[in-house]
Amino acid sequence: MRSERLKGHLDLLLMSVLSRGPGHGYEVITRLRERSDGAFELPEGTVYPALHRLEEASLLASAWDVVSGRRRRIYRLTPAGAAALAEQAEQWREFSGSVARVLGTPAAGVTWRPLRRGAPA
Amino acid sequence: MTRHAADAPGDAIEDYLDRLLVTLSGSPRQVRHTLAEVEAHLRDAVAEGMAAGLTEPDAQAQAVRRMGPVTGVAGPRTGLARPSLALARRLMLTAALIGAAGFVAIGGAGLVARPLLAAKGDAFLTAPWPQASYTRADCARWLAGTPGTHSCVAAMLADHAGDFLLEATAAGLLGLLGLAGYFALRRRWRDRATLTALPAGTAEALGAALAAVAAVACFGTAFDTEMTQRGVGAGEPWSLGVAAAVAAAVFAVALRRTLRRTRPG
Repeated sequence: MRSERLKGHLDLLLMSVLSRGPGHGYEVITRLRERSDGAFELPEGTVYPALHRLEEASLLASAWDVVSGRRRRIYRLTPAGAAALAEQAEQWREFSGSVARVLGTPAAGVTWRPLRRGAPA
Repeated sequence: MTRHAADAPGDAIEDYLDRLLVTLSGSPRQVRHTLAEVEAHLRDAVAEGMAAGLTEPDAQAQAVRRMGPVTGVAGPRTGLARPSLALARRLMLTAALIGAAGFVAIGGAGLVARPLLAAKGDAFLTAPWPQASYTRADCARWLAGTPGTHSCVAAMLADHAGDFLLEATAAGLLGLLGLAGYFALRRRWRDRATLTALPAGTAEALGAALAAVAAVACFGTAFDTEMTQRGVGAGEPWSLGVAAAVAAAVFAVALRRTLRRTRPG
């Protein structure tokens, strides 16, 4: 998926990934790629400004720890972040449900399929 | 001279981190933390690439490519659009200190002016307005405010001298309130990031320089008034000049103490 399109939803996706457990930047990117089945490809560096922005807004908190011999900044979702995630996820479901209703049922012969990395546009 | 191992050419990770270092904005701590995070990320990605069978240079190239341009890691150029919170706080403290000290100095000028007024009279403190610039109504108002005075000019001078002393007192009180606010903010913002956002002694140096310039300007005006108007109205710039000179001296002493306290070793 185009990274420009993804950027508008990055905060929601990052909070969702971290709702499954704390993690450092590389873990967050890896989980995001795995959970999207490889569909969400964006320059990995762009998650850091987003993580820092979410921390500044008190939706995430971070602490430094040594993991696998390397010093890492571990992010976790705060209670305020969990509340924001629930609200934004609900808004997204409403929005995507409305879009799906507008688009309607696929025409005969057209198959909806999830967008995968490397799939033709 | 020997070359440090990290300076070896061809290390794509080190090159990337160098470019990121000069691109990042924010406090020194934010920069260090982001660099450490990104380096750990890149080393993980290299290890993953090598585990998948890539050579180290190829794994490094892939890690850097996947990380994207350094501007993406740095985010929007907040350093230009919005100074760091620590710097904004430190600038606010500096402005509060200098502004409050300026108002206190004006209050001090009022104190200096009182004995001058007692010794040399209203005409020394303030100069009369040109005759065509005021009306009979102005005269009547000044005379009403100065019982026992029958001359319009004498009443005007007494009124203006009173105004100067009143305004100086108000400015002094405002300055004291400002100083109280400054000390309250300084107690609240005593984190290291705020304290080190500007070089030590910046506020004192700036305050001393501004006060010294003000003192020179006031003394120059007072001296010129003495020469051209035989001292009529010279008291106001003299008293302001003395107060500014005292403020400059106080800032200079504070600067000296700050520099001694922060001198390395």
